[in-house]
Formats: sequence, C-alpha cells, structure tokens
Amino acid sequence: MSWGVIASKEFEDAVRSRLLWGVVAFVTVMVSVTFLVPLIVPALDTGVLSALGGASEFASLLVPIVSLVAAYLAIAGERESGSLRLLLGLEPSRWAVVVGKFLGRSAVVVVGLATGFVLAGVVAWAIYGSVPLAAFAGVVALTAALGVSFVGIAIGISAATATRARAMTIGIGVYLALSLLWDLVPQGAYLAAFGEAPAQTVPSWFVFLQGASPSGAYSALVMNVIHAVEPSYPTATAGIGGPVPFFVEWWSFAAILVVWTIVPVLVGGYVFGRADLN
Amino acid sequence: MTAIETDGLTKRYGHDVYAVDDLSLTVEEGEVFGFLGPNGSGKSTTIDVLMDYVRPTTGTARVLGYDAQEDAEAIHQRVGILPDGYHLYDRLSGRKHVEYAIRLKDTDDDPDEILQRVGLTSEAAARAAGTYSKGMSQRLALGMALVGDPDLLILDEPSSGLDPDGIRDIRELTLEHAANGGTVFFSSHILSQVEAVCDRVGILNQGRLVAVDSIDGLRDAVGAGTTITVTVDTPPTDLSLGDVDGVTGATVDGSQIAVTCTEPAAKLVVLDRIRATDSRILDFDTQRSSLEDLFSAYTHPPAAESVTEGRR
Repeated sequence: MSWGVIASKEFEDAVRSRLLWGVVAFVTVMVSVTFLVPLIVPALDTGVLSALGGASEFASLLVPIVSLVAAYLAIAGERESGSLRLLLGLEPSRWAVVVGKFLGRSAVVVVGLATGFVLAGVVAWAIYGSVPLAAFAGVVALTAALGVSFVGIAIGISAATATRARAMTIGIGVYLALSLLWDLVPQGAYLAAFGEAPAQTVPSWFVFLQGASPSGAYSALVMNVIHAVEPSYPTATAGIGGPVPFFVEWWSFAAILVVWTIVPVLVGGYVFGRADLN
Repeated sequence: MTAIETDGLTKRYGHDVYAVDDLSLTVEEGEVFGFLGPNGSGKSTTIDVLMDYVRPTTGTARVLGYDAQEDAEAIHQRVGILPDGYHLYDRLSGRKHVEYAIRLKDTDDDPDEILQRVGLTSEAAARAAGTYSKGMSQRLALGMALVGDPDLLILDEPSSGLDPDGIRDIRELTLEHAANGGTVFFSSHILSQVEAVCDRVGILNQGRLVAVDSIDGLRDAVGAGTTITVTVDTPPTDLSLGDVDGVTGATVDGSQIAVTCTEPAAKLVVLDRIRATDSRILDFDTQRSSLEDLFSAYTHPPAAESVTEGRR
C-alpha cells in the first residue's frame, strides 16, 4: 500500500507548497473571466449555456497547462535532485512510485479544478442570475477528467525522463501538439483527401480526428453534455451529413480520454522500471 | 547466512566503461564490512546494484539471500540504506521525513526515538530539511535508514560532511548495530574511518576488487614494515642495499634516501652501508608503514608511484 502513502504525501506537499492554491486561484480567475466575455462582446450570444461552452473551450487549452505544470517534475525532479534515492531505498517498487505520484497529483488537479470552477460558478451565478446545475456539474466532471488525463501524460513524461529540463521540453512539445496544434491534424487530413478546406458538412472521420486528442475528446463530450440539457445546442457530430457512426458516439470520446490517461502512465512506468538511476 | 554476495558482478556503461568489473564479494551476517576505494572506484555503483537502483550488465547480486533484482521488495524491508548523492525534501521537516519512512516501510517505530538516536533535537527536527547543514542532513538520512530496525545497514560515505562529533556518532551507531547482531556494509574512501569500525575490508580500485582481508591481514599481506629515511650531504654514488636481509625497497631522491625494512635489524645495516659510502649522514628518521601507505599501494599501482619519486 505504499502507493497510497506516496499519493497522500504528494497531496500534502501540494498544499504545503501552495501549488494547490495556485491552481485554484488561476482556474477561478481564468474561468470567471471567460464567463464575462459574452457580456463584454455584444455580438455574442449572452446565454449562460453559451458562456459555459465558452468557458469549456478555454478550459480545453488551460487545463492541460495546469496539469502539466502540476505533475511534470513529479518523478524527474526527484530523480535529478536525488531524493528519489531515498524514496526508492524505502520503497523499491518503481510502479508504486509512478502510481502514487499519479494518484496524488491527480487529486491535486481535481480538487484545484473543481474548487476553481465552483468559485467561478458563483461568479457566473452573480452575473447571469442562474446556473444550469446539471450542465455545470457535467462540465466540471469532464474538466476534471481532462485534468487527470494530462496528469497521466505528465507523469508518463516525468517517469521516462532523467532530468527536469528534458521533462519540460517534452511537456511543452506535447502541449503544443495535443492542445494548440491538434486541429491541424483533421484539417490537414481533409485537405489531403479533398484538396480544399473543410466545408459545412464534414465526414465522420473528420469529427473523430478532431476528438482524438484529449482536449478534442473533452470538447466533444462537453458539447454532448450541454446538448443533453439544451437540445438547441449543437452536438459534436452536428457537422456530419447523414447517419452518425459508432466511433463518434460520446462513449468513443470517453474511451479516447481514458486511453490518453492510462497509456502514458503505462509507457512511462515501463521505461522508468527499466532505467538505471544514478 | 550471507548478508551480501556478488558473483562476477559487472556494470558497463557504453562499450568500454566498466564502473564495476567482475566483482565477487561475500559479506557474512553480523560483520562490519569496510568497502574501501578512491572516489569513482565503483563503490556506489555496487551499492546501486544491491539496492536495485541500477541493473548489472552481467553477474548477480544477492542480499540476505534474496536476488537484488527479483526480490527488491523483500530486501528493502530488511535493509536500511544511507545512499550517496541523495537529497532531502526541502519543505518537509526532519520529523516528517522519518514519519514518511515509517509509513512507507509500514513499521511501528517511534520517530522521536529515532531522531534522538541520530542526535537531532526536537527543535531541529521541527525545521524544514531545506535549512539543514550537510551534517544534519546526514544524521536525518541515517535516521531514515534505521527505520524498521534493519538486519543490514548499507552506509555509503556516511561521514561526508560530518564534523568529528558526527563521525564519532556514526561510528558508535555502527558498532551498536553490530553489537545487536546486525550487519553493516560501510563504504568510504577514507581508510581511518573504515579501520575504526570494520572487521574486514574490501578494497576496490577502478571497478575491481584488489584485496579482501581483515585490517591485520592486509598489513601482513603488503609486508608493511618500517621506512627509514636518511638525509645525507651529497647523493651516494656507490650505495648497494639489494643484498641486505629484510630490505624490500629503496629510493634515492636527491639527498634523501628512503629504505623500507621488514626486519628491525636491517635498519642498522642500512645506516652502516650509507656511512661506508662517501656521503655523510646529516639526519635520519624511522616511520612505521601506516595503513594509509598500504591503501595507496593498492589503489595507486607502482608504475604511477614512481613518477612522484626522484629525478628532480
């Protein structure tokens, strides 16, 4: 059960180092601001659901940063400083370390994101007079899942790298690829297939590719959640002309998010398990 | 039962860098074993293999009867390690470190008792470890190693950064552990510290084990005797000592003649021989060979040593 001991120490460390409060403050401010945007820009729809959708769009770019920052040093930092030598002297199982770190840092991110969103929800309630609780709760849960997914990615990177600098380099690269630049993948594939930019109606594989990154899957799931509350809100598959195949159903995107969480941890843990630590 | 047993243990980095080269070593239970060698001789790498921090290229290592790689979990429950090149958690207090070790090892030690044993006051233990001096860090890390009352203590350069009080405390804890039937594997590059506590010593040089013996045994093995150093007014031209019984070596460095004698009577013969030459003796001095000479004899091959002698 030492993974539990490691996880709880990770969480206590985050409280002690004020990392947790940093996450809460950052998320509260950023999400509150996005709730305000529809009010500031008159041309936009001013409904609270649109604001929630907007906040989630922003969160899909913001949350990966929060998670990566919160977890990229978890193992590589200890390895570079040498505290890992003490830790592994007490608990030699590298998997216990990886799992403990993943769970502990996930708890930090989940608590930080949820608290930040709830505080931002209070701001939204003050502005709009009401908050659709079901949709809001769904978006918070999905945001937490996205956060955990990127903690998994960050832990995988941290486990597989020997130094802080390399962990950071790979972390930034992964963020650019999976969050900022991912849209170029379906766009590029479309261009390659049809020789032109995507039109109003897109093929289902285009929607699947859009949602194949953690942030993409998250955005698709958020649209489905808001759509479930307010049917006039478009689903992720609204652009598909004709029948909707299974691989762009909501559970497909949920599976993508789970895969992005677990596979990096497994790969990182495998590399870490075979590494010479000196 | 054997506490540590390595068989043909080799750790190679890249194609031809051997950190540890074909090391076969046995440490019995209840022994205080000194693992001696200059920096970079492979001591820490050997310990890293025992603790499963690194994996051997070839060969095997067993600790308390368990395979170091296969049964790391069982080993770590019974071993306390003070590793080299460790770092404490800067924000965590000393006491929290010990508590963390107790929870990880799932033992029922009393943190205060452990802190007291290694000489950390409760005020010191309440402070964040980031503020600790090297000596305090070393005491704390040693305390973490003592958690769970291990059968085997592995101490890698335990005295580094410690003042004389700290070095004495380490010595006492080591002897106390051994007196209670525990085994200690004591790695150091400083001979006097190993000499003070160890039953047996293994000397490692460039990844290879060059000697294993008791301190007395090592003394005999090198044939250590007395060095007589004679200062003369002019270097002798016709001195020959090769036929003197009990003389094992002689060097002339300007006006200094150094002769190693294994027989006490040889010293007078040497002086007589020098007086018989046209050199006049200005002074002479005798010195028992120390273990330090012995250690350097093992770790600095004669070829390298001759460079430091003579011909200036």
